[in-house]
Amino acid sequence: MRRTLRTRITTRVVALSVTGSLLLATALVLLIVAVAGQRDASRTAFRSQEALTAGSQLEKSLITIENGLRGYVASGRERFLAPATQALASYPAELRALTRLLSEDPGQQRLARRIGGRIEDYVTLWARPLIALARARPPAARSVVITGGGRERLGAIRADFARLFERERNVARAREERAEQRSSLAIAFGVGGLGLVFVVAAGIALYLRRAIVRPVVTVAHATGRLAEGQLSVRVPADREDEIGDLARGFNAMADSLESSQVELERSNRELEQFASVTSHDLQAPLSTISMYAELLERRHGADLDGGTSLIDGIRDATQQARTLIRDLLEYSRAGRGQLRVEAVSIETVVETALEALAGDIEEAGAQVRVGPLPVVPGERTNLSRVFQNLVGNAMKFTDGGPPEVTIGAEPDGRAWRFWVSDNGIGMDPRHAERIFEPFQRLHGEEDYAGTGIGLAVCARIVEQHGGRIWVTTDPGKGSVFSFTLSAQEA
Amino acid sequence: MRSSAIAAVATLAAFAFTACSDDEPTKPEDAGGASRPVRIGTKDFTEQFILGELYGQALRAKGFRVELKHDIGSSEIIHQALAGGGLDMYPEYVGVLLSEIAGRRERPRSPTAAYRAARAFEERGGFTLLAMTPFSDSNALAVKPEFARRHRLRTIADLGRISGTVQIGAPPEFRTRFEGLVGLAERYGLDNLKARPLAIGKQYRALEQGEVDAARISTTDGQLAGRGYVLLKDSRGLFASQHVAPVISRRSLRTHGRRLAAAIDAVSRRLTTRAMREMNAAVDEDGRSPSRVADAFLRRERLK
Repeated sequence: MRRTLRTRITTRVVALSVTGSLLLATALVLLIVAVAGQRDASRTAFRSQEALTAGSQLEKSLITIENGLRGYVASGRERFLAPATQALASYPAELRALTRLLSEDPGQQRLARRIGGRIEDYVTLWARPLIALARARPPAARSVVITGGGRERLGAIRADFARLFERERNVARAREERAEQRSSLAIAFGVGGLGLVFVVAAGIALYLRRAIVRPVVTVAHATGRLAEGQLSVRVPADREDEIGDLARGFNAMADSLESSQVELERSNRELEQFASVTSHDLQAPLSTISMYAELLERRHGADLDGGTSLIDGIRDATQQARTLIRDLLEYSRAGRGQLRVEAVSIETVVETALEALAGDIEEAGAQVRVGPLPVVPGERTNLSRVFQNLVGNAMKFTDGGPPEVTIGAEPDGRAWRFWVSDNGIGMDPRHAERIFEPFQRLHGEEDYAGTGIGLAVCARIVEQHGGRIWVTTDPGKGSVFSFTLSAQEA
Repeated sequence: MRSSAIAAVATLAAFAFTACSDDEPTKPEDAGGASRPVRIGTKDFTEQFILGELYGQALRAKGFRVELKHDIGSSEIIHQALAGGGLDMYPEYVGVLLSEIAGRRERPRSPTAAYRAARAFEERGGFTLLAMTPFSDSNALAVKPEFARRHRLRTIADLGRISGTVQIGAPPEFRTRFEGLVGLAERYGLDNLKARPLAIGKQYRALEQGEVDAARISTTDGQLAGRGYVLLKDSRGLFASQHVAPVISRRSLRTHGRRLAAAIDAVSRRLTTRAMREMNAAVDEDGRSPSRVADAFLRRERLK
């Protein structure tokens, strides 16, 4: 059988699972990217905001220095200088903070370096020399302040600051926008991916249902029908995968069962034919023998002189052979062919059986008690035969006293249990199974008449109705024959 | 002409000093010294910008790293910046250095004496002077010819005859400098003068427009060329003749070695009065940038 890896269900299921997992993972990754992007954007925006704050603080410090200087130079009062001195001490840290917080944008870093240089120039070439000059020669310092060199430097620095702030805002805004775009794109992809995952999952479920569950269910149904006896049932087996293997296995099993059944039926039919042919053909010579025995007695009875008893022997043996053949025919026919099931009142059935046995009952002085009996599905004639045989048996195996027979029924789950009990001789429980096989006798024919076929016929009929038959027995006290019949039609 | 004689003497003296004043022990340049930039400052007027560019570009051509810090302000502030360590050198006028920084009121006998005194003053503070330039300029008071005619002005002392206030356009420091209102009152007894603070270079315009009666100018100013201003004679020698000498920190000289002083001196040596005036005029009159003017000069003189 050709079987490529591609066709294996295992392979396909694994491939589908992997595809689904990859899709899910991709969707998750995209969502994570989206969330991270948004977080980065807000962090960048926050940083930029901090940078702007630091820049404003630095600018304020410079203005404080310039104003303090001018105040001090103009008035000569140290108290004007105090805030400027403080700002002169604090500005380097503020400048570092600004540079650190500014975006990585090279233009911004360049601008920040330029501002740093200008501030350094302002401090070392203007602010500090001016303070020193003002301490040493206040009038000279005043004349220097007039030219406004510091104000010009500060103006240039502040112009740079304005540019820096604007660009920082733009950079931050651009980044935010870009991150937002990216993250909404990622969210769209992520959500789309999740949707796709659901679609794929539904697809996988549908596929599994179509490719695996349905074929398996088909095989299961077919198995059920096979178990019910429809041996011709087959399943489609055109697939190359494991399901195909299962279907082929099932079909092979059904083939084998069907051929055994056909073989069995053929041999049964042959056997039946043989039995009926044999019994029919045997009856003719038996009749002839019987007829000749009659003729012999009528014509030469007087001459035989005591030979009459021999003729009686012939006649008895012939009769016995006839009974045997009749019983054999009955057994071979019992439980054959189609049952014509209808609702049967067992009470009526028992009545019919007792009517057929009326002679025997009277002869044996037997007492037959019949309890209330239900109506069950079955075949009237065959069921009547069962009761007839069981009651006949019950009356037969007695130790001489008048037989007492009881017929009853009780519900047993979804079936009825019927029983026929007697006060006869009973039997060794070891034989309880054997007595339902054909021609099995526990006693010699000289003790109890019969061919040993009655119980076998009962067993066949009960089994054909889907029930079972058994005996509980107590040697010397009697036996109870029980059988079950389904309460509902199957 | 007295000023040109002084200039000639000063030039000679400058060479002499440059030759024999190199007593500073020079160390070979180390890696740190080579990478540390020479920070050159300039004061707040054209001639200074040109000087800064000349020194800066010449040093760069010799492989030094240079940071030029233009327009720092008057001598008072730039010298403080130098003293505070914010600069390594700047070109200074020897006379201004003596009168305004060192606080010497008496005039030195000669430019050489002035130079020597100024250098001695600087060396006490950890600085020194490199060679003087051949060119000298001095401050002067200029008036328009009509104004001179009307008031019959020839000398500074003649200003005292004018009834009412005389407005003088001058840099802010003029009020507090000896070579300013202080000296004018002290030497000439002039008390009818009033200084109007103007950025250097602006005083010509103010004079033209009649906003001021006189202007304090520098004799190398490019604006003087061909205008026919009357320069009032300084008969009592208030305005000293000024040669320029770079003030430089000795630490910087130690760091960068002899080559630094040699490169700077090579520039100073070529700065004649004529060359300086031409360059000033090229900037103030022709509107060229100090850096291009300096570049052209250095190339012409094969210093670059």
